[in-house]
Amino acid sequence: MNTCTRVARPRTGTISQVGLLLGFFTLSVVAAFAANPVKIGVLEDQSGDFAVATVCKVHAIQLATDEIDAKGGIAGRPIQLVIYDTQSDNTRYQEFMRRVLQKDKVDVVFAGFSSASREAYRPIVDQLHGFCFYNNQYEGGVCDGNMVVTGAVPEQQFSTLIPWMMEKFGKRIYTIAADYNFGQISAEWVRNIVKQNGGQMVGEEFIPLGVSQFSQTIKNIQAAKPDVLVTLLVGTAQSSYYEQANSAGLHVPMGSSVNVGQAYEHKRFKPPTLANMYVTTNYIEEVETPASKDFVARFHAKFPNEPYINQEAENSYLAVYLYKEMVERAKGSTKPADLRKIIGMGDVSFDAPEGKVTIDPKSQHMSHTIYLAKVNDDHSISFPYIWNDIKPYWLGEAGADLTKSDPHKQYTPSDPPPKRN
Amino acid sequence: MNYLSSIFGFLYQLGDSCAFLVLASCGLAIVFGMMGVINLAHGEFIMCGAYVTAATTRAGLPLPLGIACGTIAAGLAGMVVERLVVNRLYGRPLDTIVATWAISLIVTQGTLIVLGSTIPGIGTPFGSFHVGNYSYSYYRLLLMVAAAVVLIGLWLVFNKTNFGIVARATIQVPHMAESLGANTRLIYSLTFGLGTALAGLTGGLYAPTMTMVPTMGTSFIMEAFVTVVVGGADVFLGTAPAAGVLGVIRALFTSWQGQLFGQIALLVAVIVVIRVLPKGISGWILKGRA
Amino acid sequence: MNLFSWLPALNGPQTKGAGRPFWAGFALLIAAAYAFPFFSDDYTVGNVAYFFTWQFMTIGLCLIWGYGGALSFGQTAFFGISGYTYGVLTINFGSAYGLTLLALVVALLLSAVVAALLGYFLFFGRVSGVFLGIVTLAVSLVLERFMAQTAGPQWHIGEARLNGYNGMSSILPITLPWFGEDIALMPGTGFYLFVLTLLLAVYLGFRIIINSRFGNVLLAIRENPGRAEMLGYDVRKYQLGAFVAGGVLAGLSGVLYSSWGQYITPSSMSLTAAALPVIWVAMGGRSDISATVVGTFVVLAIFQTLTIYGSQYALVIMGALLLLNVLTTPEGLILQCFQWITRLTPRRRP
Repeated sequence: MNTCTRVARPRTGTISQVGLLLGFFTLSVVAAFAANPVKIGVLEDQSGDFAVATVCKVHAIQLATDEIDAKGGIAGRPIQLVIYDTQSDNTRYQEFMRRVLQKDKVDVVFAGFSSASREAYRPIVDQLHGFCFYNNQYEGGVCDGNMVVTGAVPEQQFSTLIPWMMEKFGKRIYTIAADYNFGQISAEWVRNIVKQNGGQMVGEEFIPLGVSQFSQTIKNIQAAKPDVLVTLLVGTAQSSYYEQANSAGLHVPMGSSVNVGQAYEHKRFKPPTLANMYVTTNYIEEVETPASKDFVARFHAKFPNEPYINQEAENSYLAVYLYKEMVERAKGSTKPADLRKIIGMGDVSFDAPEGKVTIDPKSQHMSHTIYLAKVNDDHSISFPYIWNDIKPYWLGEAGADLTKSDPHKQYTPSDPPPKRN
Repeated sequence: MNYLSSIFGFLYQLGDSCAFLVLASCGLAIVFGMMGVINLAHGEFIMCGAYVTAATTRAGLPLPLGIACGTIAAGLAGMVVERLVVNRLYGRPLDTIVATWAISLIVTQGTLIVLGSTIPGIGTPFGSFHVGNYSYSYYRLLLMVAAAVVLIGLWLVFNKTNFGIVARATIQVPHMAESLGANTRLIYSLTFGLGTALAGLTGGLYAPTMTMVPTMGTSFIMEAFVTVVVGGADVFLGTAPAAGVLGVIRALFTSWQGQLFGQIALLVAVIVVIRVLPKGISGWILKGRA
Repeated sequence: MNLFSWLPALNGPQTKGAGRPFWAGFALLIAAAYAFPFFSDDYTVGNVAYFFTWQFMTIGLCLIWGYGGALSFGQTAFFGISGYTYGVLTINFGSAYGLTLLALVVALLLSAVVAALLGYFLFFGRVSGVFLGIVTLAVSLVLERFMAQTAGPQWHIGEARLNGYNGMSSILPITLPWFGEDIALMPGTGFYLFVLTLLLAVYLGFRIIINSRFGNVLLAIRENPGRAEMLGYDVRKYQLGAFVAGGVLAGLSGVLYSSWGQYITPSSMSLTAAALPVIWVAMGGRSDISATVVGTFVVLAIFQTLTIYGSQYALVIMGALLLLNVLTTPEGLILQCFQWITRLTPRRRP
C-alpha cells in the first residue's frame, strides 16, 4: 500500500494497552528514500455503496503517479501515495483525513466521492491547514481556500444541457432528483435555467436515497406529460428507476448531469433501457479525440480489467498533473499558501484528455470542455454537441473571491455569498 | 373511463407496494418470525438469488429457470450457513444479530472483490400495456401474482404437507418432536433453507428490475424486518395482513405526498401498530380467538 | 480510611473486578491513560479520544440491554438528537462564557426528555423483545430520513442550517471558560483529557448505581420480569429509568462526536450506524460494564487498523473475526478473557 516501514512502539501491557498496541503502529518515514518524496494522501471509497464509481479514481491517480515518476517526479521528487479505503462511510473520512494530515503528514490529499463525505472532512482540512483536491462532479458552491475542485459543477453542466434540450424537444420540463443536497441544489439550477429560457416546470419530485421502487413516480411523470425529463438520481438503488421506467413504457427524452459519466449505467443496463438519454459530462471513455484515445490506451495497459473510465477518473488523473504544475511553479514548495499564490495568477492549466483545463482563482474550481453525450438505442454513445472551455463562473459572479477572502463555506443559489461592496 | 383508469392506477400502486413487502419479508417471516433468528444477512440471500438469476439468464437459460436456479442457490447457501453457524446459536437469539451481520459483511465485500462492483442487468421482459393515459409494466403485475402464489404456497406447505407439520412441531417444542421421531437437526436446516430460498426467489424476481450491485439487498431489509415484526410470530396470520396494511399506508402517502412521506408514514405506522398491538397482528388475532 | 469509605459502593455482584489487585491495576491504568498524551503524538491522542467518544453510547446500551434485558436498536436516535442540538446551540450562541458546556447540558436534557417520552410509550405499553428493538430502530430511521431531506435554506434553526444529508458543519468545539483565555478543546490533548475524565466519572458512577438497590432490581427484572413484578416492583419504572439513562449517555456520545469533528450528519442515525453499537457491546460482553468498555475500545481499534492495512479485505476479515468470536466465546470476548484471568489467579477472600 505504501512504502513506509511499520515500527511498533513497545508498550507495557494492561488490557487496554493491548488495544493501543494493536491500534497504533507507528509509521516512521524512511529518510533513506532517494529524495524526500512528495506525499499524496488518497481517500476514496473502494468498498461499500459508492465503489462502483470510485475504484477507477484510485487507479487514475496511480496511473498519473507512474507517468510522472517515470519522467522525474514532481520538481525532482518522487511521488508517494498513501491510500486508504474509506468504505463509503463518512466517519472513516473523518478518521483518515486526520490520519493523513497529522500522522502521515502528506503534502496534499485527494479525497471524497459523495458531497456528504466532503463536508465531513472539510472542517478537518481547514482546522489542520491541509490542502485538498475534491475530484468529483458535485452540486457546486464550495468556497474554501484549502480546497481545489476539479469536477464539473451545475453551471457548467446545466447551462449547456437544458437550453439545448429545450430547443430540441420542447419547453415542458420534469425533474426527478435524489432528495438530498446534490439533488435539491441541482434541481434548483435546472428550475432557474428553465425559467430564464422561457420554459415551464411541469413537475419536480424528490426521491429519498436508497429508494429502489418507482411505480408511483413513473405514474406521476406520465400524468404531467413533459417534453424533457431531467433525472438527477444518485446511488445504486435509485438507478433501478431506468429499468422500471423503461419496462413501464415511459420513453420521454432524458437529460442528466450524473448518469453515464459517473456510474456508466449504459454499460450496466440492458439496451435500450437508457436510450434517448442526454448527459453533459467533461469526460467519458468514449470521447474520440486523439488525446482521449491515448489516455484510454495507457489506462488499459496498466489496468486491463478496468470496467469503465469515467469523468471522475479523468478528474483525478489531471489533478495530479495540476498539482505537479503548481508545485514546480512554486519552486518545489508544497505549502498551501505558496500554491494558492500560483493559482491566483489564473493560468494554472493542463492539456487533459478532455482538452485544456484551467483553475479559476476566485473559486478554485476548474474550466472544462463539456461533451453532450447521447445514449443510442444500442447503448453506444454519440456526441451531438461539444462546448469548449466552459468556466465555473457562478461563485465569482455571485461575489466570492478566494484571492481576497476565504469563508470556508458552501454556498447555494438560494443562499449566495454576501455581495462585496 | 378516466375515473376507471385512475382507480386501476391506484390499485396497481397498491398491489405493487404490497407485493414488494410480501416478497421482501416472506423468507424472513420463516427465519425470524418462526425460528427466532434475527437474520441481518437476509438482504444478502436476496442478492445471492438475484446474482445467480442474472448470471444463469445471461448464460442463456430462460428467465423462469434462472429464477429457479437463484432460489435453489440461495436455499443451499442458507442450509450451509445454518449448519456452520446458525445451529450453534438457537439457544441465544440475540447473538444471531452479530453472526448474521458478520456474514452480511463477508458476503457483500467478498462479492465486490470476486465479481467486481457491479454485474450487467438482464432487462425486464414483457413490455408494457396502456390503461387510460398511463402505461404499466406487465412484469410488475407478474410480481403481484408471484406474491400471492408464494403466500398460498407457504400456507399449503406448512398446513398440508408432512414436512410443514413436523417443522412447526419441531420449532414449537423441539424435544417433544424429537422423541416422536423427527430428525430435528434436519428439520431446522430445511426450514432455514426454505426461508433463504424464498429470499433468493425474491432476488430472482426483482433481478430484472434492479441494479445489480453487492449491496442491493439492503434496500429490502428494513421493509422486511418491519413487516415481519408488525405481523408477529405467525407467518400467515401476521406477515400477510401486515404487508397489506403497511402496503396500503405506504401507497397512500407516496401518492399523496411523495416518496419521503411514504417512507416516514410506513415507519410511523410501525411504531403505532406495535404500541397498540404489542405482540404484533398475529398475536392480536390469536388472542381474540382464544 | 474515610477517604475511601465510598469505595465499597463500587463493588458488588453486578460488576466484575473487585478487591485490591483489581483496583490497584485500575489505578495504574488510569494513571497511564492520563500520562499517555505526554508521551504520544497529536494524531494518536486525538484518535484515542475519538474511540472514547463512542464509549458512552455503548455504556448506555450495556445498561439497557446487558443489565436491563431490553435491546434498544435505536440508541443512534439520541446520538443524533443531542449531536444536532449541540450543533444548533453552539452555531447560534457561540462559545464564550462556557456556553458550549451549557449547550452540552441542554442537548443531554433534550435526549432525556425524548427518551422519557419514548420509554413511557414503550414500557408502559408493555412493548418488549424484538418489538422494542424495531420500534427504537424505526424512530432512529424516521429522524434520519427526515434530516436527510433538509438541504434547502428554509430548513434552519436561527443561524444554523440543518443542511440535509451533507450534514451540519461549523459546529464549535467544547470550550472551557478559563481565566484570561477560554480553552477550545480541539482534538488533541485537551479534548482527550476532558473525555477521559468524563469516561472515568461515568464508569465509576455506573458501578455505584448498578451495585445499588436500583441495579439489583434491574437485574431481577432481566432474569424474570414476572417474578420481579410479583415481588412488588413496578417493572416499567425501572426499565424506563435505565432507558432514559442510556439515552442520555448515547446523547453524550453524540455531543462529543459533533464537537470532535465539528460536524454531524443524518447517516449517524442510519441502519448501519444503529447496528454498530449493538455489535460492539455484543463483542465485548454485554453483561458487564468493564467488558463493554474494553471490548468497544478493542473492537474499534482493531477495525480501524484493519481498514488501514487490510485494504479491500478489511471488511471480510472483520466479518470473519466477528463470526469467530460469536461462535467461540458465547459471553463475549472480553468477558471470556476476564474469566480466564480469574481462573488463572488463585482466589483470596479478604
